[in-house]
Formats: sequence, structure tokens, C-alpha cells
Amino acid sequence: MELDNIKEIIRLMKQNDLREFELENGDFKVRIKRGGVEAAQAAPSVMVSPPAPSAAPASAPASAPAAPAPAAPRVNTKDILSPMVGTFYLSPAPDQPPFVKVGDKVETNTVVCIIEAMKVMNEIKAEIKGVVTEVLVENGKPVEFGQPLFRVQVA
Amino acid sequence: MFEKILIANRSEIALRVIRACKEMGIRTVAVYSQADADSLHVQLADEAVCIGPPRSGESYLKIDRIISAAELGDVEAIHPGYGFLSENAHFAEVCESCNIKFIGPTAANIRAMGDKIAARNTVKKAKVPVVPGSDGPVTSEDDAKKWAREIGYPVIMKAQSGGGGRGLRVAHNEGTLIKAFHAAQTEGQAAFGDAGVYLEKYVENPHHIEIQILSDGRKVLHLGERDCSIQRRHQKLIEESPSPLMQMKEHKNLRRDICKAAVRAAETIKYVNAGTIEFIVDDRGNFYFIEMNTRVQVEHPVTEEITKVDIVKEQIRIAAGEELPFKQGDIDARIGKTYAIECRINAEDPFNNFAPSPGKIDLYYAPGGYGVRVDSHCYGGYTIPPYYDSLIAKVIAIGPDRKTALDRMSRALDEFIIRGIKTTIPFQKMVLKDLNFRRGRYSTNFVETFMAASRGTMQGV
Repeated sequence: MELDNIKEIIRLMKQNDLREFELENGDFKVRIKRGGVEAAQAAPSVMVSPPAPSAAPASAPASAPAAPAPAAPRVNTKDILSPMVGTFYLSPAPDQPPFVKVGDKVETNTVVCIIEAMKVMNEIKAEIKGVVTEVLVENGKPVEFGQPLFRVQVA
Repeated sequence: MFEKILIANRSEIALRVIRACKEMGIRTVAVYSQADADSLHVQLADEAVCIGPPRSGESYLKIDRIISAAELGDVEAIHPGYGFLSENAHFAEVCESCNIKFIGPTAANIRAMGDKIAARNTVKKAKVPVVPGSDGPVTSEDDAKKWAREIGYPVIMKAQSGGGGRGLRVAHNEGTLIKAFHAAQTEGQAAFGDAGVYLEKYVENPHHIEIQILSDGRKVLHLGERDCSIQRRHQKLIEESPSPLMQMKEHKNLRRDICKAAVRAAETIKYVNAGTIEFIVDDRGNFYFIEMNTRVQVEHPVTEEITKVDIVKEQIRIAAGEELPFKQGDIDARIGKTYAIECRINAEDPFNNFAPSPGKIDLYYAPGGYGVRVDSHCYGGYTIPPYYDSLIAKVIAIGPDRKTALDRMSRALDEFIIRGIKTTIPFQKMVLKDLNFRRGRYSTNFVETFMAASRGTMQGV
């Protein structure tokens, strides 16, 4: 089977939202499985048995395109969660720069944003230590209790 | 009329309010704790905002977060349901100051009836009979003894800021009086943040009769009574209307007199919106004011079915400034034509001292058919959280006479299947078969007597 055929199978699977495909033809076996934490974004994992017998076990994954990391939280990141209900602001004032941006280091006491509730501007502290990897809410949008605001790579 | 309302509550009552809003074309905002993310009211509302972790004190009672959610959602009114903030005068005031209409009575109404001692004194002035009692708070053991001697045993100690059947202790003699005094204080402090207590004569074998009130600010109407004598530890299990007691020939004027008194009590404080006035009635038909609940009640469907009034819709209309679309005469004509009975199904094990039974409902099949109404937020696969009350469903059976309603209720309970948790259904089925209950001969000591007599079947009680 050529790589082009495999690509075509993958395309058809995506198009028809199929999760698994397996084909056995003599010594040749291919099994393709879609899905994972972020199904839409995870690349399908492809297992192809080598056409000739080899020392490696038949079920060893081939060096097919490695699945790119899906946009799910990694083991060493933590989210800063909203402690209240209100409107999220990235900067102290509209004409001022944001409290933090991607790449910034934060300490537990670092003010990362403002949540406005009932006309009171509440400064929200990071409560964790690390480096901001993602801003999860758009400026000016409403946030609820427990909503993730920032993703932080913790030490 | 409002375009958008926030429901500051959860479970079946939140669902009830959402249903009324949908029928009126009003958009809804639900608030929920993290334990209620899968709740039905969250799914059915147009918008939903998480307001805190599971504990009520950090979510459903957080006024700032609820108001914040209301402002974000740009709502015009808040319906508080029952429990939680529904009888919190401060919350009602905060709503007003934020230009959000509180769907319920005024803060002044809530205050007037929230202090149970002040409420007694207020209605006394309106010539509403009250149970003989201490004229003010009982402040010491000696004070308690003095009042009890004057009123005569048995007496009942009550928490001044109490309600919902909590903070109550009966004493039959001086020996148990002191214990009752301290227990009521402790429970009052723990449940309501107020250790103030007062004393009342304990009417033996009382019937608990309550009158539904509806006021649009121009006139106060009553919607008849509900008999809620079937209670366990002051928690209602079964309610019905008309009251079997009031249907007896020897009490033919009782309904007229008690409803008139209830309307007078509400008029005296210029009450607005829906409320319920609770009375104790003895076997001779003497009735005494106990307290007023300034909110919509759990058992409101009983009254809805016998008067054909949608109480929640009327609450919303009244809050929007509309007049009640019916007169007292219209209601009076309907009372007695229909019988309705409600069973409160709780997630409790009646064979294990009603121990709470939260957990996942594996299978849920609710009864239906002619004359059966089920108000519930539960469904197969739903997990009942352990943080809140145990009410999972209300079954209401309706009929042209009491026997039909009772038979219909028995039939409905027989087909109500809830698997995965324990419920009070088996208990209520037993009560419905009881001869005295079927004859309508019961008072508030019914459950205790019934359970003692059924001890063989209800071990652990």
C-alpha cells in the first residue's frame, strides 16, 4: 500500500467521521484509529505492519506521521480559574497595556487581570507560579465561577 | 412584561419557573453551582452561569455573584424560588437598588413576617387568633418556666427566625422544658444565625392548615387551603386540598373564617405577590396563626390544580405590575369541585430512619396519564448531589372527589420507578393505604403513630 492510499483513507475517514479502519491482506495489515482528547484536532494514529517479517513485534507502531499535540492541557500546566462572576479585563484600563501576556512569568501574588462585578473592579491574583502559555478569555467577555482564564506552565 | 428573568435557585423549582417563563416568551438565565452542571434547569434555560462550588453558602446564597450574573445577563427580574434567598429581605433590597425586580413580596413584607414574634404581634392587631404564647423572646430558663406555667403545658419552644419546621422543641413538663429551651436556641443559631426563641402553647393533635394568598398590590385574594398535617419531624410529606377536616359538616364555616383571617393578616402588612399563611387547627375547629411564608411554596401545585391558577405565572405578572385576572368569587366557585393530593418524593430510605440517599439514578420512569402531574428535575443517569435538600420529585394526583384522587395517587406511585437510590415512595404508598388516612382522619401526629404501628415493616425507626 502506498502512502497516498493511506492518506486517502484518512481523508475519507475524516470526511465521513469514521473512527477506526482496519484492513488485512495476507501479510499486510493496516489499522487506523481517529480520536483522542481533542478528536477534531488529533491526527489519526496509523499502525502499519511491515510487509516482510521482522524482529520487531507486528503490532509496533510504524513511524507514521506523529500525532501533533492536541490542544489539551499538558501534564505540567495549570489553569488560573475565575473566583467570581463578572466581566474579564486584561488591562487595568482600556488605554493601558495588559497585566500579563503569553510568555510572562507570574508569581502567586501577580495580578493577572481584573474581573468587574457590580461596578467593582476586582484584581485577580495568579495564586500559582509559572509562565503564562495562553490567555483563554477575550477582553471584555463575561466569565463565570470556575472558568479557566489563563494557562500557566508551572515550574 | 419582562423580557428576561434570572432564576436564583435550582432543582425542581428552577425548572418550574423556567417552564412558566417559556410559556410567557420570557428568556431565562439559570445560575448553578459546580455540583449542578448537569442539572436539568441548566440545560433548559436559555443561558446559564456557574456561580460557585457545590456548597450553597458559596453559590446559591452568594448575593454578589447572583447579582453579577443578573447584570451580565441583562435581566430585568429575579425569581428566588423557595429556600435560599427567597425570604432574605436584604437580597430583595439589593435587587431593588440594582434596578432588578425581585419576583416576590417587598423587603418590608419579608421582614414583617420573618421575625416570628413580631409576626404574631402584627396579626394579633388584625384580630387574627394566635396560639397563646410568650409576648416576646424567652431570654432565660426562669423566663421559660414562668411563661410555660402561665400558658399551661404542653408548650413548644420555637426559634424566632425559624421556618421550614426547624428550631422547634415540644416540652410536656418543666423537666423537659429547659432542654427544649437550649435545643431550640442552638438550632436557631445554627440554622438561622439567631438564637432568639419564644414559647407557644402546644396544641395537641393539631391539623396543619395553610392558606394560599395572592396579592397584586391592589387586592388580596385567597386560593383556599392546603392540609399539610402529614409531616415527619415537621417536614411535609403529603399535602392535599380540600382539607378533609374542612369538608366535615361540623366545620362548614371553618374555611370561610380561616381564609378571611388569612386575607386580613396579609392586608395588614400590605402584602404583595404570593404567600402562605400557616395555621394550627384543633379538633374543635379553633384555628391559630403560626407563621407566614413570604414565598412560593413547594406544595403550590396542589392549589394550582384545584383553582386552575398558574401561581408562578401570576407571581411574574404581579411583579410586572399587572392586575390579577380573576376575582375572589371566581376562586370560591372552584374550591371543592376538584381534589388534589401531592406526595413529596425524597431521596431518603424510609426503612432506615429516612437516611439521605444521594447518588446516581440508573433508571427513572415517572408516572403519567389522566389526572397525574409530576414536577421533577430528575432523569435516568442523573446524579443527585449530596449538598442540597433531598426532594427529587413531586407527584400530584387530581380527581373530582377525594377517593379518585387517592386511588390515582396510589396508581401513580405504583408505576413510579426510580432505581439506584432509595426513595420515600414505599412509605407514601403505605400511608395511602392506611384506613385512617383514607377516611381523612389524621393530624400532625399521624406519621409518628403510623410508623410506630408499622414498626415491623420499618425497622430501624
